[in-house]
Amino acid sequence: MNPLIPTPDTIPVAWGWFEFLLLLTLPLHLVCMNMLLGFSGVSLFARLRGDETSRRLAFELARVLPFLVAFTVNFGVAPLLFNQVLYGQFLYVSSILMAAFWLAVIPLLIFAYYAIYLYDFRFRSLGRAGAVFIGLALVAILLIAFVFTNNMSLALDPARWVAYFRNASGTLLNIGDPTLFPRYLHFVVGGFAVGGLAVAVFARFWRQRDPQVAELANRIGMQTFTYLTMVQVLLGMWFLMALPREIMLIFMGRNLLATAVFVVALLLSMSVLVTGLRRQVVLTAGLAFVLVFLMAVMRDLARIAYHAPFFRAESLQVLPQYSPMVMFFVTLAAGSVCIVWMIRQVLRSLKKA
Amino acid sequence: MNYPVWYLPEIGGSTLIALIAIVHVFVSHFAVGGGLYLVLAERKGVREQNPAVLAFTRGHSKFFLLVTMVFGGLTGVGIWFIISLVQPAGTSLLIHNFVFGWATEWVFFLVEIVALFIYFYTFDRMERRTHLIIGWIYFIAAWFSLFLINGIIDFMLTPGGWLETGNFWDGFFNPTFWPSLVFRTFVAVMMAGLYAYVTCAWQQNKDLKLAMTRFSGKWVLIALAGAVPSGFWYLSQLPLPARSLVNGASPTIGRALDWGLYAVIGILLISLIFTIIMPALHNRFIAFAVLACGLLFIGSFEWTREAARRPFVVNEVMYSNGIRKGEIDEINRQGFLASARWARMREFHEESLLETGQDLFKHQCHACHTVGGFNNDIIARTANFSYPALLSYLETIHQRRYFMPPFVGSPDEMRALATWIIAGLHGKPGEAAATPVATDGGEGPGARLFQNNCIFCHEAGLVKAKTAGWNVERVRSALDQLSALNPAMPDYAGSAAEKDRLAAYIVSLNAAGSTVPAMAEDPGETVFETHCAMCHSLVEGYNPLLPKVSGWSRDRIRTALDMLEKLQPAMPPLLASDKEKADLAAFLYEKAQGGQP
Repeated sequence: MNPLIPTPDTIPVAWGWFEFLLLLTLPLHLVCMNMLLGFSGVSLFARLRGDETSRRLAFELARVLPFLVAFTVNFGVAPLLFNQVLYGQFLYVSSILMAAFWLAVIPLLIFAYYAIYLYDFRFRSLGRAGAVFIGLALVAILLIAFVFTNNMSLALDPARWVAYFRNASGTLLNIGDPTLFPRYLHFVVGGFAVGGLAVAVFARFWRQRDPQVAELANRIGMQTFTYLTMVQVLLGMWFLMALPREIMLIFMGRNLLATAVFVVALLLSMSVLVTGLRRQVVLTAGLAFVLVFLMAVMRDLARIAYHAPFFRAESLQVLPQYSPMVMFFVTLAAGSVCIVWMIRQVLRSLKKA
Repeated sequence: MNYPVWYLPEIGGSTLIALIAIVHVFVSHFAVGGGLYLVLAERKGVREQNPAVLAFTRGHSKFFLLVTMVFGGLTGVGIWFIISLVQPAGTSLLIHNFVFGWATEWVFFLVEIVALFIYFYTFDRMERRTHLIIGWIYFIAAWFSLFLINGIIDFMLTPGGWLETGNFWDGFFNPTFWPSLVFRTFVAVMMAGLYAYVTCAWQQNKDLKLAMTRFSGKWVLIALAGAVPSGFWYLSQLPLPARSLVNGASPTIGRALDWGLYAVIGILLISLIFTIIMPALHNRFIAFAVLACGLLFIGSFEWTREAARRPFVVNEVMYSNGIRKGEIDEINRQGFLASARWARMREFHEESLLETGQDLFKHQCHACHTVGGFNNDIIARTANFSYPALLSYLETIHQRRYFMPPFVGSPDEMRALATWIIAGLHGKPGEAAATPVATDGGEGPGARLFQNNCIFCHEAGLVKAKTAGWNVERVRSALDQLSALNPAMPDYAGSAAEKDRLAAYIVSLNAAGSTVPAMAEDPGETVFETHCAMCHSLVEGYNPLLPKVSGWSRDRIRTALDMLEKLQPAMPPLLASDKEKADLAAFLYEKAQGGQP
């Protein structure tokens, strides 16, 4: 038992509920985050190219970006909340150790968000200078991802926490962890790949209005996806090898569930490469969506293995109070109905127009 | 204690919380009230069939989107980040108790985001009635997010029935839930009007500008008329300690409330003059001036609410430094170092007094105090203390100043904290002067006992003066119950033989041939050090006392000492005997006269 790990608080419902909600909401955040990376990256690339079709593509993507920031943040809130319920005693500590960087996420995000709005709302008047705004936004987003990677990896490894006694000013990073860079690249490159795929999916919405843009989006999107997925497979291997042996082995037969998920994910990666090369956009997207969920599950199994020597979520004390959870599910259902209704009104008014 | 402390000696985490929280609340109330403003302004445009009003509403919705969704939304996440960095234990307590309150609030955020995007992007492109319904959905979702967070925030101030039951609903619908909800709803509506002044000021169309400025002015004045009484209702529901802090026992809250009052007057006057009486004069400068008043108002309210909760982060449950009230006895028994996970040393070592003291400061004081920063600087606040005075202050800190949490830990740890502050920060003689190494002042076992036990608070000269004329029996019996001599003095825990030796040494101080010079002692000075020096210096430094009594007669000072709390509500009554008060009055009178009696 590491003496630095804080005593956890009690939880109001069985831990499985939180694990379920965490695994339900995190992939939604990851998909939005991937799209944000892919749309920003492709839009920047298209904006830097000189031709008119690329400019129009850059603009189509720019118009979607503000939504992606909003939903990435919103869908990030829920898993961060459920993570804190189960693993707060780890996450709070790692956050404090790197507090200055962790807090910097907020101004970086505000900066990126406003830069993206400027890029979108002033697309025409900014001209090619718009590339500066989306470029800076992308840099900010990549920095945020780096901070997240540092924090999430530091939360896994209490042995590294003693660094606090040398530096209590919240300016630590987890650079010494051999998994840090492969983990970061795995998330970011994978993000650009899935984001590229999403650009190809969106191309279908533009086919009627602007076939040239749709064709270009489809081509760039699918190329981004397939090439980066090849890189991603290699990065995944690097990440796996960099994991501590005990953790790696759970995917290599020591834990049946982890190994099964890993094998299915590997097969799915190969499948999306094939369907991607064949330009089967919808099928690839469907499989990739499943793949993101599986990655989230693998990530969770790795965390459980990391924590295994000193903590199991099952051991959290439950002081049962289920009625607030009922309130949550009822609200979630009502909110979802409300959102579907609103979207239908939008589609109806679009049809009329 | 359970968590590491983010140590920012000159800034302090609480300053960061205050900064982020105040700007967020300033925008988030706009996010709620502004939703209502948008739908009602749109409806006004529809009813009057006035395309200019609709265009105004559309323009305002863009401003609204950029301010609330980007800045408001992200600073909201920012509060969550900063409280988990600065108050991890408190945040964890809240998250674990109210996770589904927050999860439900998240659903409302999601609905808000979707509704606001649709409202903004389909303005003039959707059937008007449906568009208005989308606007209403936004407002209702936003108000419910206020409803939810209001329950959790007020739980921290007034946990109510939760203290007994631990039940979610008892904590959520706590004693200040409803007054706070009504108050915040009015404030949200007022904020909507204040922010609308900005959009109004940018209008080129004179008629439109006039109409919308008046419309917004009415919002502000009506909401203000509701906010003031509901604010008093809110205050009336505060528990007694918080109410007395708000009523003057806390000077910082007093100042915050003053600023809040000026802000309300500013909002009232500017709104009356520039939006109702002479709306034609409304301009961008006025818009920002009144917005600044709004910020001041929010700042004052939030500061007061937060400060009134002191010394707790969750009232009666957890102190601001993350220590639970219920675990204090256990920690006092075990010692703080043995209980704290994140202290550098887990055991007390005499030679590491300064490091230990700094760790204790980090874990017990840094939640509110900076070191050399502008906010609640520990150096300025302890400038008048001597080591013994600080030690005696720490022993009863929570009793003397309710809004400070008690010191938690062993007497040795308390010495360490006092030593770090006095010797480490101020460079004054502290604990070091009393370590066994120092042997001046006599030889023999009694002298050594004196050095090891008494000199933290008394030099030999002072004890010589105090015990002049005492025989050895009297000294010896006093050593059995030091706290009876002076409640601030801890009892001496030595054995009977040690007490005998110590008594012999103390008596020897006044014997012929003693080399220890008697320290001329003014009894009034001792009273001053014990009761006043924690808040007042005499002449220079923090809150000097002599200028306040300059020109006063000794009797007037003496009378004042009986009614300190009436002279200044921030001052506690002076808990001293009549003789002590007389000594203090004489001392202050003499000092005010320039040292001449």
